[in-house]
Amino acid sequence: MTLDIKERSWTTGSDGTPVEELVVNVGPSHPSTHGVCRVIAHVDGEVVTKAEPVIGYLHRGIEKIVENRTYLQIVPITDRLDYVGSMYANWAYCRSVERLAGIRVPERAEYLRVITCELQRIASHMMSLGSTGADTGAATMFIYAFDVRERIVELFEELCGSRLTYNYVRPGGVSMDVPEGWFDDILSWTDAARNSISQMDRLFFGNFIARGRLKGIGVLSAKDAVGWGASGPVARGSGVNWDLRKHDTYSVYPRFDFDVPVGSNGDAYDRARCRLFECYESLRIVEQAIEQIEPGPFKADGIPRLLAPRPGDAYDHIESARGSLGIYLVSDGSPRPYRMKVRSPAFCNLALLPLLAEGHTLSDLVIVLGSLDPVFGEVDR
Amino acid sequence: MTGFVGGAVYGLAGGLVIAVAALFGVWWERKVSARIQMRLGPTEIGPAGLFQTLADTIKLVLKEDITPRQVDRPLFRMAPLLVFTPIAMSLVVIPFAGGWVPLNTSVGMLFFVAVPSVSVIGVLLAGFSSGNTYATLGGLRGAAQMISYELPRTLSVLAMALLAGSLAPLEVMNRYEWWWTPATFIALIVYFISSIAELNRGPFDIPEAESELVAGYFADYSGIRWAIFMMSEYGGLVAASFFGAAIFMGGAQGLPGVFGVLLIFAKALVLITLMMLVKWTFPRFRSDQLLTLAWKVLTPMALVQLVIVGVILPWL
Amino acid sequence: MAVKPDEYTDVPEHGHVGAPAHESDTVPLHINVSDEDRGGVGGFVDSWKSLLTGMKITGMRALGPDKTLRYPDEKVTLSPRWRGALVLKGVLGRDEIPIIRDESTKYNAFIDDLYKQERLPPCAGNCPVNVDARGQSYYLAEGMSAEAYELVRERNIMPGVLGRICHHPCETACRRNYYDEPISIRPLHRFAYEEYAKVREERVKVFKFTRDEKVAVIGSGPSGLAAALDLMALGYRVVMYEKEHSPGGALLSGVPSYRLPREVLSTEINSLVQMGLDLRVGIEIGKDVPIDHLLGEFDAVLIAAGLQTSRIIPVPGHDAQGVQGALDFLKGANWKGDAGVKGKRVMVIGGGNVAVDVARCALRVGATEVRLACLEGDQEMPCHPWEIEEALDEGVIAMCSLGPHEVVTSEGVVTGMKMRECLSVFDEMGRFAPNYGEGYTEVECDVVVFAVGTAPVLGDLVAGSDLELNERGILPVDGTLFTTAMPNVFASGEVVTGPGSAIGSIATGHEAATSIHRYLSGASLTENRIPRPVPVYEKYQQAALDGVEESRRRVEMPMAKPEARRVDFRQVELGITHLEALNEAARCLRCQSEVCVGCTFCARTCPDYAIQVQRVDDPGGRALTRYDLDLSKCSFCGLCAEQCPTNALCNTGQYELSFYRRDLMVFDRDEMLRDGGGTRATGADAVRAIESGEVQ
Repeated sequence: MTLDIKERSWTTGSDGTPVEELVVNVGPSHPSTHGVCRVIAHVDGEVVTKAEPVIGYLHRGIEKIVENRTYLQIVPITDRLDYVGSMYANWAYCRSVERLAGIRVPERAEYLRVITCELQRIASHMMSLGSTGADTGAATMFIYAFDVRERIVELFEELCGSRLTYNYVRPGGVSMDVPEGWFDDILSWTDAARNSISQMDRLFFGNFIARGRLKGIGVLSAKDAVGWGASGPVARGSGVNWDLRKHDTYSVYPRFDFDVPVGSNGDAYDRARCRLFECYESLRIVEQAIEQIEPGPFKADGIPRLLAPRPGDAYDHIESARGSLGIYLVSDGSPRPYRMKVRSPAFCNLALLPLLAEGHTLSDLVIVLGSLDPVFGEVDR
Repeated sequence: MTGFVGGAVYGLAGGLVIAVAALFGVWWERKVSARIQMRLGPTEIGPAGLFQTLADTIKLVLKEDITPRQVDRPLFRMAPLLVFTPIAMSLVVIPFAGGWVPLNTSVGMLFFVAVPSVSVIGVLLAGFSSGNTYATLGGLRGAAQMISYELPRTLSVLAMALLAGSLAPLEVMNRYEWWWTPATFIALIVYFISSIAELNRGPFDIPEAESELVAGYFADYSGIRWAIFMMSEYGGLVAASFFGAAIFMGGAQGLPGVFGVLLIFAKALVLITLMMLVKWTFPRFRSDQLLTLAWKVLTPMALVQLVIVGVILPWL
Repeated sequence: MAVKPDEYTDVPEHGHVGAPAHESDTVPLHINVSDEDRGGVGGFVDSWKSLLTGMKITGMRALGPDKTLRYPDEKVTLSPRWRGALVLKGVLGRDEIPIIRDESTKYNAFIDDLYKQERLPPCAGNCPVNVDARGQSYYLAEGMSAEAYELVRERNIMPGVLGRICHHPCETACRRNYYDEPISIRPLHRFAYEEYAKVREERVKVFKFTRDEKVAVIGSGPSGLAAALDLMALGYRVVMYEKEHSPGGALLSGVPSYRLPREVLSTEINSLVQMGLDLRVGIEIGKDVPIDHLLGEFDAVLIAAGLQTSRIIPVPGHDAQGVQGALDFLKGANWKGDAGVKGKRVMVIGGGNVAVDVARCALRVGATEVRLACLEGDQEMPCHPWEIEEALDEGVIAMCSLGPHEVVTSEGVVTGMKMRECLSVFDEMGRFAPNYGEGYTEVECDVVVFAVGTAPVLGDLVAGSDLELNERGILPVDGTLFTTAMPNVFASGEVVTGPGSAIGSIATGHEAATSIHRYLSGASLTENRIPRPVPVYEKYQQAALDGVEESRRRVEMPMAKPEARRVDFRQVELGITHLEALNEAARCLRCQSEVCVGCTFCARTCPDYAIQVQRVDDPGGRALTRYDLDLSKCSFCGLCAEQCPTNALCNTGQYELSFYRRDLMVFDRDEMLRDGGGTRATGADAVRAIESGEVQ
């Protein structure tokens, strides 16, 4: 892999003469790399002949840091994995810890986790949809998406006092119960959210320019999606009907009636629309969960603050907004994990970039990157 | 000598008009986009934040004029002026009121269509001289785009020249009749779209596409030189709107003197607002789609308009 | 509730990410998000429509209502949970904790009130008599041992006794369980007793009998003594009758002296006598004095006679020579130091605390081999786990999951015991219904002691009164008011509750005293009476101790060596030193007092190591000397405030972080204590600090 872009690369033109390739270094500081991704794009005119993602700019060594932190201290660190959807990393991590320590979670806590994580899914997808808009130059779409996201973030702030790094899910439950009237706030907002999302659908996905920009871009076949380990909306956009909430169901998801949006073309348009339709489904789940939730403890009783699961290992995964997010934990019986490994969907999905971007123009490169929805906190860890 | 003094006065006046237009344009754009995006826009400096842009301009003027090391210095410094000057010159032929146009020439429409296109050289130079891949790509895209959109724009204006039987904008304005607008509606749309494209404004801001090329051909500019690029964009916006209002919508016709100015101002404002609405509503085209649109949609539309006018013309 | 991971049925076995596409057939596609574009003129028209739709949406939004943004000013509070500025409500050395202390008759209401305000420390909450262990630790750490003793004595009557034999539910509930290990509350009781011995004589306070009513208490066990103390404190004259020649009841006859030395018990009871208790020993009510006599002489009578006889399971051979009841055995062993088992093999039937006591006594009085057989499995024996552990250390052989089948006799003398395998003890409903298997075990032994339960013998006592026993020989008593069929006769202790703990008996004594007081003062027994507002706190899982330094560990009561202690009746628990006791008392977190005690849990839980805490522990001068919070490291995860056991560190719910200088982001103890402000430093504060020269 060539990282030195100063090195000139020559290819052979159609008439046999040597042609110097233009190498465009996109990122790591660039408006549409969704963080600190760097893509070395070799372009022939405007057409990308080769795109190499270079990662590691946000590497903080989280997997190593946690080896020196107690199980409780790790929860706020998992917030920093996928900082657009902190709840997921919290939850996946706590599920692994619960599996490791044999903790049973009270039902109310499971419902609260489902409600917050489904709201988080909407918030995360809004970020993705908004930046799809921003990538294509529709700045207003970004603001409209953030209007919805902002309300969710406000709800989270009311719930746990934080707007981005929630640190809400705990081994054995959640950190606190909902404030007074919180559910009513959500229920009074869902219709407005639906309206707003459908407006975005008409404004952006109905627009012929957007369709022209997104359709046929970064086509991923179902076979490749499975072969490359893609998950989440990236895989579903390609027609792979794979959603852990349905297919490896966990928590209280079997009690909800919801559908899995699946695309058929596998292009950026289908991926983005999968996300959009998932927002409707998430709203459905949230409404059902609020209807079903019953009073009770929000945290398992009698869990010590300093957990020391017995030696062993555990893996658990959940469907995050980006795909299957799994956390593998090894315990040696001490209060600090021996090893933590994050199976991050964003990393696996990002690996598809060279495959998908090739042959598209530079303008489409950012769309392909955006349609994979990477969050670099999770990619680099 | 008088020629030089006159030219200097005209130039200064034109520059002032463009500066004020840019100030107003930026403020108005901020307000319109803020309303669209459920924001407030500038509120603090001046009434309704009217002087915010002025403050920004002062800041930009006071900033250090940085010329990066790897650039082609003379070309880099010259490029903003090469973009700005043709746009400023184009204002000269716009009829602002019944009998008032800075330069009443019989080839005014040709002048307006031709002269601003010269700024493509400035765009190309800015991109090239920066020595930066983003800027180079932006400059090349800009060149391709601006040249392509000359054709539909010229053709759309041609329809009006045919109807009026004159190439002098003042003449066209004076001869305007109300049914011209429905009859030349297609030409108005083509003019409107290709003007946006000519000005590199969204959804045709491909040369400066923020999400792809960071800022395109002026990626390396800052301070006053960057401000000149912005001013030329807003100057062009104002020029195109006033010209469109004068040619396609009758301009100040029907009202004398100052009232006429107000009338053309109102009409231009509608066009300006519409351009902003378009910019803040739609996503950006890709460059190949842009060219497709120019050659396969707008040019045929303009030709259809010419045919329509040609059919109408003998009946007049 | 801990379950094994493989029992965790909520989660099925994992599938594989990236499952083959054909598996997607299992769930039908509900929504297909793709749609097709139309071509030709239709597509042209659609495009224009889409443009107009988009402009309509943005246009309508533009014409919609104003969205105004409110910028937070200084006092804006967004959400009370906002993880922003932190503040300390108080620190050690500034505030004294509230001592939980009230009249016995009002104590329940007081506890209930605290509980509702969430101000009840778990140790006091979980104790049957709500001993303020927090206050005890406070006094001890401040060097006020006598005050600590008297505080504890108000509720549990005999700290010296309970400090040795209590099963300490307080320690079970101690919040420090969450973090490392609970406070050793029971050894601290004992320590307070030993310290009090130095000043006991000078601090004796004789109660004045301000009321005319007289109360008779039958039995000098823990519940009788508790009731007597409460009533004396209220001004009643109390006369206590004990049928044996020395007082103490079950504490004397049932508790072996290696756990509770006799002089401790007598010291404690003597104290009560000095305070005004009229104790008459050697008088058995019903035999020496009929109860009618008492009813005539006294305004109220409390029956706290306890349980006098052991149950013996009627298996074949139960009447053979060598079969004994546990109480008889203990009485013999405790009083005479000889139960007739010298050189014999003893078999103890039962798995409770009494059985363990019997087994351990048998060793001490010279039995060559002691076996203990119980129905339950080794993990579910009803005795306290530490008891059986100590017994096993001493050489008792435990045989679990065995039920008595037959006492093997030879010519009327025990030669062995035949046991039957027991599969389960309780049925699904949780009722006692042993399910026996087909396996039999025979053990040779010379003495069989049944420790399977005890029962009251009240026939003589109630004879001649209106009280009647039911068919099982039990006196019907109201379980919450402790009243009997006669309005002026009350009952408490194990007569009511059946075999139980000493501290539980004391709790009934307090309640009965309250009833007697209400009866004698003519008040309603039930009105405004809170039965027993004690919330039962869960036992926490043991926190991990790996890496916990010695200074944070609890002090363990040193024990005599098993080989040394099994031969005589000297105390097995050796007691803790003065220094250990002070350190242990200083470990108390003073839960719910909202005072930072410098426990350093916040510093330890901080993922960014932004907090540093130090304190000094000199008696009389305990203070938090340092509390530094470095906000430049803080990530606002909120764990510190969540971890704080005393709720002293809390979020203010306010914005903060407008600093001009980075060095101003380190907050010391006094800044953390700023009224309502805490770390909510403002730019104005910083400017003032710089101008006044506080910082450079």
